[in-house]
Amino acid sequence: MRINPILKKDLKTKLRGWRTMVLLCCYILLLSAILFLYFAGNNMLVPYSSTAYSPRMAVDAYNLLIVFQFALLFLAVPAITATSITSERERQTLDLMLVTKTSSVRIVFGKVMVSIAHTMLLLIASMPVLGVVFFFGGVNFADIAKLLLFYVITSFFVASCGVFCSTLFKRNIVAIITTYILLGIITFGPFIVLLISVYVKELVLRNVGFNPTYGDFLKPLFPSSIFGFTSFYYSGSSMYGYGYSLWGSVCQEIESQIARETGILRFFKPWIVNSVFNIVGSILLILLSAAKLNPVRRKK
Amino acid sequence: MMVTVENLTKRYRKTLAVDKLSMEIPEGEIYGFVGANGAGKTTTMRIIAGLLAPTSGKVFVEGIDVSKEPLKVKEHLGYMPDFFGVYDDLKVTEYMSFYGGLQGIYGARSDELTDSLLELVKLTDKKEAYVDSLSRGMKQRLCLARSLIHDPKFLILDEPASGLDPRARVEMREILKELRTMGKTVLISSHILTELSELCTSIGIIDDGRLVASGSVSQILEKMTHSGMIRIKVLERQDEAVKILLEMPEVSEVSSVSDILEVKIKGREELFAKVLKELVDKDIPVVSFHPEEGSLESVFMQLTERGTENEN
Repeated sequence: MRINPILKKDLKTKLRGWRTMVLLCCYILLLSAILFLYFAGNNMLVPYSSTAYSPRMAVDAYNLLIVFQFALLFLAVPAITATSITSERERQTLDLMLVTKTSSVRIVFGKVMVSIAHTMLLLIASMPVLGVVFFFGGVNFADIAKLLLFYVITSFFVASCGVFCSTLFKRNIVAIITTYILLGIITFGPFIVLLISVYVKELVLRNVGFNPTYGDFLKPLFPSSIFGFTSFYYSGSSMYGYGYSLWGSVCQEIESQIARETGILRFFKPWIVNSVFNIVGSILLILLSAAKLNPVRRKK
Repeated sequence: MMVTVENLTKRYRKTLAVDKLSMEIPEGEIYGFVGANGAGKTTTMRIIAGLLAPTSGKVFVEGIDVSKEPLKVKEHLGYMPDFFGVYDDLKVTEYMSFYGGLQGIYGARSDELTDSLLELVKLTDKKEAYVDSLSRGMKQRLCLARSLIHDPKFLILDEPASGLDPRARVEMREILKELRTMGKTVLISSHILTELSELCTSIGIIDDGRLVASGSVSQILEKMTHSGMIRIKVLERQDEAVKILLEMPEVSEVSSVSDILEVKIKGREELFAKVLKELVDKDIPVVSFHPEEGSLESVFMQLTERGTENEN
């Protein structure tokens, strides 16, 4: 099998040194520390305590870990990809790639793949830590598999945003900041749109008895990966129940609305809808990046 | 024809980098592209390589339109810019195999080509060295090897000898001679005109984005056999001779170095006879009349000073 040369080169150079291994070890140690401190802090490791070896507590620990991983994905992937093209420009190697018969689409795709490969490495390496919660029960293995798929698709989108910004700007720092701003708008913006629409319907239009359906949630929120992530957050099985946090309430509201759906929308689970958006968005961003990179279209 | 450039123009906002430039490079030719800094050499080369879109005009490589089928053109073209463009964290063989992969060459074929090219650029003993450990000259040779990994018929070399020490320059020149024997068509830019005249079969002189002269080295030297300077020795009445010469509109400058008059003529060879006739008609005893031999260097200086005449 012929591996994309850009992916092969980046993996070779990055994995050869000691830095990646040290970072990977730090990441696993951090995850393990979070898990251990959570267990210890909640007396889960104390025999005969009320929370000892409780599956509900394990579910909360699992929630904590996957939120940490999700946040890390949004912080780490842009840092890798937003400099992918700008650093080639700075090193003066971009022209050397563009003068080969490799198309700009393949170059951009190679850069996105590099980031996905790094994400996969982090996710697979963290599996043993996530696996600890299986000792306690309460977490479905199929959900973890789906979560991994969701993470890969999300990192595909985040990486595409990073590469897109990297083709737009010449300086690393500008590309990184723009990527974070763009991702912030796509991730949190839909929630602001939802809040405004609810406010307009309930207060401004005096729509007394406004009872939003899943469709009302779905329409503005589908681009947000946080919305997709609600599918994996075990809000119902939490030790502290639904109302414990605002986040838990949001997840519970979405879950209960899906449960009430009887039409075709019941199949449109948040993670599926968001993944479709992410895949389509990624393809568009890759094509736009390739068009921007295409030397014959470049004016400078 | 390996390369055909038709009315190429490149404008950056108010700056005209290339102005209606047309040229042709036949197959097997080593074409030297000469011009001062900012004359438009690199811009022209980048457009031919498909790295920059022209404002107007057309470029064909092996009859293929660069703007319409850039990827097809890149199969036939190797490009070496005036910078190294190396990844410091790669070994020499990995660097070659990376670019081989980008050119669609993998596995044993890539290894085989890497070996032969490293031998050509005399880097076989540095195969396993990291690129950042190589000297400037070695990096330059490695870049040349990289541009040859897909065995292109046409090579664009932008200032391949710039920044190299004399030994590295000689080594680079030897490699380029080897490329000539391999039948490659090469477009090479340089400031070192003497090196180009030795190496190239044709020369193009570019000034302010315009091609002011183009042809074989001998053709250009033939057309411009003088540097515009005549050394005249008169037996007596030197002051009168200077006065006569300065009154002639064709003469721009006269200086005397001991008993020799150095006369600078604004124009072509035909005017030399006119100057001599004028002196003889005024009974000046001319004992020697010696137009200075032209060199590629002086041709370049004249053309870029005048910057108007196209010798095409």
